[in-house]
Amino acid sequence: MDVRIIHFYPDLMDLYGSRANVLALKRYLERLDCDVTVEAVVPGGGTDIARGDFFFMGAGTERAAQAAMADFARYGDALKAAAQDCAPMLFAGTAMDLLGRTVREADGSSYEGLGLASFTVEHGKRRIVGDVYGHTDLYPEAVVGFLNKCGVAAGIETPLLTGLDLGFGNEKEGGPEGFHWKNVFASHLTGPLLVKNPKLLETAAAALYARRGKPLPVDRPVDRWAEQAYAVTEEQLRLRAQAK
Amino acid sequence: MRTFLAIAVCKLGRFAGRLIGKGSSLPGKFALKICPDILRRVKLPEHIIAVTGSNGKTSTVEMIAAILRADGRNVVYNEEGSNQIEGVVTLVLTHATLGGRVKADVLLIESDERYAAHTFRFFHPTEFVITNLYRDQLTRNGHPEWVYDSILPALHPETELILNADDPLSSCFARGRERVKWFGLEKCSVSSEAPTGVYHDGAYCPVCRAPMEYDYVHYNHIGAYRCTKCGHKRPAPDYAVTAVDLENAAVTIDGETGITLAFRSIYNIYNILAAYAACRECGVSGETAAAVLSSYLLKNGRMQTFRLGARHGTLLTSKHENSIAYDTNLRYIAASKKDCVVLVIVDAVSRKYFTSETSWLWDIDFDQLNVPHVKRVVLAGRYCCDLAERFSYTELENWSVEPDIPAAAAALKSSGDEELFVVTCFSDRDKILSRVEKEA
Repeated sequence: MDVRIIHFYPDLMDLYGSRANVLALKRYLERLDCDVTVEAVVPGGGTDIARGDFFFMGAGTERAAQAAMADFARYGDALKAAAQDCAPMLFAGTAMDLLGRTVREADGSSYEGLGLASFTVEHGKRRIVGDVYGHTDLYPEAVVGFLNKCGVAAGIETPLLTGLDLGFGNEKEGGPEGFHWKNVFASHLTGPLLVKNPKLLETAAAALYARRGKPLPVDRPVDRWAEQAYAVTEEQLRLRAQAK
Repeated sequence: MRTFLAIAVCKLGRFAGRLIGKGSSLPGKFALKICPDILRRVKLPEHIIAVTGSNGKTSTVEMIAAILRADGRNVVYNEEGSNQIEGVVTLVLTHATLGGRVKADVLLIESDERYAAHTFRFFHPTEFVITNLYRDQLTRNGHPEWVYDSILPALHPETELILNADDPLSSCFARGRERVKWFGLEKCSVSSEAPTGVYHDGAYCPVCRAPMEYDYVHYNHIGAYRCTKCGHKRPAPDYAVTAVDLENAAVTIDGETGITLAFRSIYNIYNILAAYAACRECGVSGETAAAVLSSYLLKNGRMQTFRLGARHGTLLTSKHENSIAYDTNLRYIAASKKDCVVLVIVDAVSRKYFTSETSWLWDIDFDQLNVPHVKRVVLAGRYCCDLAERFSYTELENWSVEPDIPAAAAALKSSGDEELFVVTCFSDRDKILSRVEKEA
């Protein structure tokens, strides 16, 4: 199966090892015998959204995210149509902000997001950082990760993580985190989410297969280092959450 | 009266703290409780030099102190590295008379970049050295632009800035200011054509976000940048390293002053240059500065040699959560010629706080170890599987995993005699140093 991953702004939006998500998905699909092409989209460049099988944007600084949005807006209609058609996509870190209606900066200025979702984001002067241990409706295993943000997202009714035992959610400590609608996955969790959470990687790949009308093959690759790394972090963070 | 009391309590607290081996922040904390604006009330020396930045603060401060002392100045500085306001208060008051006069010609302060604005609320440096700004401890620092915004309010209009011309982000501190001196490294033997590393923070202009172009770089995105749109570009340095001969451990400053390197690293060259520039701005001659720097051995213990069985070893302390520090040490290993084994340890991500955050491993260019003389890489510590996962995306094949650090040390001790390089952080280095015979 030929697969095209469209990676938005890989240099501009690449804090906290974000690009590892694309590397992980690519390798996972290749191990399923897919022929994977990764297309990097740069500001001022262009892409045909209709040709994409998976869309990704990672975390950037708040100023970089605003700069990315200035270019990203032109893909709005096409991406919304793709999302409606169950195209899988992952927006991690500040990239999640760009899916909503508006982003208000700490200095009071604001700009419009893509409007794919109805939430709004407000950036503050306080950094919200910390490990995250949470749960999702997508699968039974815990989700682990790290938050490094200054934004609060309001108006999300379909979060990616339904609750957190450890960490700050969209609006409050321990609250729901991220955004999930059809196959749109978005989270303020930073860094290589799909590496840290092998089940989330499998979920993303399954969504991609489903859109092609195929089930994920029964014989799937197991990345033992990723599984063992997840086990160590899951235990560390679970103990941390229990000790709170 | 409050000034007197704050100074007396601080001095007493410092004396008692030394007796019981306690840190240097607490006395300052007490003094601030008694007199929150104590730093405004004391009489400070003519020269107040501050040093901040992502990397090289401690080394640069140590070298500045050594040069100024060789020039006959009485220098006080936070040698114990307490670089937030409480540590600075302890430093200042410990060296003050009870009347509030600091007994020194130069007050030299290593300042935490996130808290510089707080530290310099009641007084301001005469010279402010900013070594660089890039990804460092993002779990506490957010990201480089967040740190930039934190430092900006600390820069008083009267302060002379001493900035790294080759760093596209920290060079922005000069915008709208007149009193700026630049240090930089001209194109030389260590330069490459384009940015290196696995991410490209210098790809876009920090001022206008247009693409940037590079004439050359010295490491990662540090080099001769220029924005294709707004004119932001590397300024001509006032103090420049004009030639580098790493083979013979020698650099030349401003085409005439030769300095011998005790540690052949590109970082060390920048630290030397920053210290040289700061001291020249304080009136020290180039000859005096060069003489001190040529015989200077870093005291901070970031590089430690040792023996482990038949192996000679070198610990290259690399801050976890700082990919450029790692990249620089990996580059050092790649540039060494002897057959070697590399041990990478990630056990406690930080010595100051708990986190399982390992995304910074993805910012490190481990492929630099893909050279014939690196015979093997061993990955150890609690987060060895995260390391292994990262390594599984490199071209390297000669790596193995040993979670237990003592077991990894024992295995390396009992077999082989190649040079051993250990790459790890302050938080983890004693876990290996306790198992080796340290060299003086």
